[in-house]
Amino acid sequence: MQKFKVTFLPDNLTVEAEKDKTILSAAISAGININSNCGGDGICGRCKVIVNEGQVSSQPNGIITPQERKNNVYLACLTTVHSDLKVLIPDSSRINFDKLTPEELEERLSGLYSKAEDIQPVKEKFEDKVFTHSPFATKIYLELPEPTLNDSISDLERLYRALRQYGEFPAIATGLFNIRQLGELLRDYDWKVTVTLGRRNETVEIVLIEPGDTTANNYGLCFDIGTTTISGQLVDLNSKKILGTKATYNQQAAFGSDVITRIVYAAKTDGLEKLHNAVTDTMNQIIKDLVSEHRIDLNSVNCVVCSGNTTMIHLLLSMDPSHIRRQPYVPTANFIPVLRAAEAGININPRGLLNCVPGVSSYVGGDTTAGVLSSRLYQKEEACILIDIGTNGEIVLGNKDFLVACAASAGPAFEGSGVSSGMRASSGAIQKVNIDKKDFSVKYSTIQDAAPRGICGSGYIDLLSEMLDAGIIDKAGKIKVEGKRIRQGENGKEFVVCFKEEANSESDILINEADIENLKRSKGAIYSATAILVRHLALDFSSVSKIFIAGGFGTYLDIEKAIRIGLLPDLERSKFVFIGNSSLAGSRQILLSAQARDMADALAQKITYFELSVDPGYMDEYSQSLFFPHTDLTRFPTVRA
Amino acid sequence: METPLVLEKWPGVISTVTIGATAQEGGTRSHSLKIGGQSSMPLLFKEGANPNKPKLAFEVWDVAPSDFDEEVIKAFGKEINDPLVWAEICVNKFKAELLCLKMQGTHPDFGNKSPEEAAKFVSAFLSKVKVPLIITGSGDDSKDNLVMPACSEAAKKERCLVGSAVQDNYKTLTASVLADGHSIIAESPIDINIAKQLNILISDMGLPLERIVIDPTIGALGYGLEYAYSIMERARLAALSGDKTLASPFICFVGQEAWRAKEAKTNPEQGIMWETLTASNLIQSGADVLVMRHPKAFTNVSNYIEELFNLGS
Repeated sequence: MQKFKVTFLPDNLTVEAEKDKTILSAAISAGININSNCGGDGICGRCKVIVNEGQVSSQPNGIITPQERKNNVYLACLTTVHSDLKVLIPDSSRINFDKLTPEELEERLSGLYSKAEDIQPVKEKFEDKVFTHSPFATKIYLELPEPTLNDSISDLERLYRALRQYGEFPAIATGLFNIRQLGELLRDYDWKVTVTLGRRNETVEIVLIEPGDTTANNYGLCFDIGTTTISGQLVDLNSKKILGTKATYNQQAAFGSDVITRIVYAAKTDGLEKLHNAVTDTMNQIIKDLVSEHRIDLNSVNCVVCSGNTTMIHLLLSMDPSHIRRQPYVPTANFIPVLRAAEAGININPRGLLNCVPGVSSYVGGDTTAGVLSSRLYQKEEACILIDIGTNGEIVLGNKDFLVACAASAGPAFEGSGVSSGMRASSGAIQKVNIDKKDFSVKYSTIQDAAPRGICGSGYIDLLSEMLDAGIIDKAGKIKVEGKRIRQGENGKEFVVCFKEEANSESDILINEADIENLKRSKGAIYSATAILVRHLALDFSSVSKIFIAGGFGTYLDIEKAIRIGLLPDLERSKFVFIGNSSLAGSRQILLSAQARDMADALAQKITYFELSVDPGYMDEYSQSLFFPHTDLTRFPTVRA
Repeated sequence: METPLVLEKWPGVISTVTIGATAQEGGTRSHSLKIGGQSSMPLLFKEGANPNKPKLAFEVWDVAPSDFDEEVIKAFGKEINDPLVWAEICVNKFKAELLCLKMQGTHPDFGNKSPEEAAKFVSAFLSKVKVPLIITGSGDDSKDNLVMPACSEAAKKERCLVGSAVQDNYKTLTASVLADGHSIIAESPIDINIAKQLNILISDMGLPLERIVIDPTIGALGYGLEYAYSIMERARLAALSGDKTLASPFICFVGQEAWRAKEAKTNPEQGIMWETLTASNLIQSGADVLVMRHPKAFTNVSNYIEELFNLGS
């Protein structure tokens, strides 16, 4: 096969590409991350590149304008290499719109799109004492009696006998690896060893046998694997203490921003493998950062609990997700038996265990089960709602007697992705905004009071609400006034929240009409799904006693403003409880308690899945919600018109 | 035994919009017209008030019609090429009480007349033709934003119905209509939610809801008429149930849609029937103003309205 050299500018990176390979795949092999929301189908138009030199062949599409064609603009996904090329990739076509410093760029190109950052989890609203302390992996120090002629049972049975003094284990299993080294280990170390026990489905497994007493070093990890964001937490299994929490964008974003595009991508050659590697790379990076910062030996990390939506878990385990999107929407598995973490490519102790929180259906996954667990929705006397605001939003309505869940594809806007100045809720993210109603001047505060770098989900909620109140945007989300902060941009009018001089950054922090449209759709999807679910159960909002709001919003969410923009229903403010990342909290409970794990299994079986798309009123309800706060203003009586 | 008539009682009422201002009202029109005002579903005379008959308007252009069906052109004769004469024929010969002037000649592809030329034409039109007037732009958003303020100002105090505001482009037109004392056409793409949102956006700018007429966008018979029908029906049900933001009369551009149907072009009689049937169906679903093209269809529908209202009274 003929090969050509493709040079990407301004990075000045050259890769070899076979004839007829797309520019997009050449860029991926060069480590450059081009926007490709549609997964390379030529639909989203976000991968525009400029071919400065060389021959290409491009499929016709309706996205490139005649003017752009004259300027040699092509869609990277539909354009194939026919000679040596020089290709300029404009910033707007790169993943993440932030202007990057060279250091940051290098970091991203080194394999990660953004470095895992520390995040501060929301303070727990619930006492941790719900479940008894019985971690997923337990270490027991044993001093075995030396065998004698009168006590001559085998080494392994001797070990079991000692263990049984600690409890009635239904069955104990041991891998050949451990048995092979047992005899020598016991004798070399004077019959003093630490046994790591893991609960593996209905049996207890001896995961590891170490010399001496290592019980003090027993750690576990819990993960929330989101479509857009992956969060991980390192926990001391003895003290239940959280040592650190980190979050970063899921590297799979390069293959599409929603689960459907990723499922489609998984069906392509090597697609599943690439997606699998992207998620495990992201997780391993978080693990590496956490253990090295806390000076912990990777071998002392003995177990991982993961919660994620069904597609994310399929991709993590390299299971074929293709039937999730085909009628009748059946996943390969909802209940995953406990596996070895290494089988999934997660780097902890090579014999460490992995538990995936069981899911409910193809579109309501273990993250929802974990959320129900940590919010304790299943114990409430009266009907309550859990709203998990994420790329794949989930809503659960229920109490101790029933639980019904639905999924709403909300998109990544509230996670700070797919919006021009968006970022995760981490240091430097604008999270509170006030706009002066007369001169439109902006006051804001950032996470950790760092220099502003972008806007996170809670910042966008504040911003939209303030822009509505100041009359900067109309109820449809179009900018309707003039001013020094308002100007015409590529994607409609834009409002500058923070000029680059103030922020001391390379570009202005702004919101444009396309961003507002994006956020409007996200909030509309969440609200309309909630409204339909309530209506479907013949309830109304007034009969709901509490609404738990979960999501990666950092530490702050202004309920008043979330109602103002129509993301949340207009109810007594005291009914709302913001609980942060409920999926991560739930998986931590499972990590720390066998009871919690059993409860999660029971919950996943108990939750009834409700398919929104079969409700005839769904489209109507959704388009009604594409307005601030809502087309039916009578539903938002406390929002002043 | 006689079956008692089950009557529905509605809390809402459709707003009444007046088109045209006479000399006493500060304008120069020969008469003014009222539309809307219903307090029942269409034509249910026993259930509530249906005070105003649906009104028919002839569609006329500011230039010779370029894409009109030959049958329509034949019905007017070659005088149709002079817009002012065309308008006079509508009024004098076919007894039109209302005209809909489309400023097609301002469209960049159909003559690209300047805002000044357009305003001058509207002034001339108003001084020659005395019936109340609907004025619509050419449909090119950016050009309409220049042309329509000029036309609106040229027709100041004549209380015209001016269109069309759409969701992405309503501010310029609303401001002009507000300043010059007209009413506005709010056009939505066969979507009840957008119709409602647009009404809210326009009224948020200070134009009272009572000065808005909804163009729900219609399809001709066989081309989506039933979608338009059900959207109009739903909007009416909501309005009569008390939703003031949907309580606007409807304007339906029947002629332009009916004559696009390929069935309308197969033979002359069929075209006329296509326009007649599309219009009479829309009257059943609550149309208040119907913009027509062919004189025969116009007469057919006129007679039909008379019959309906005779039966009702």
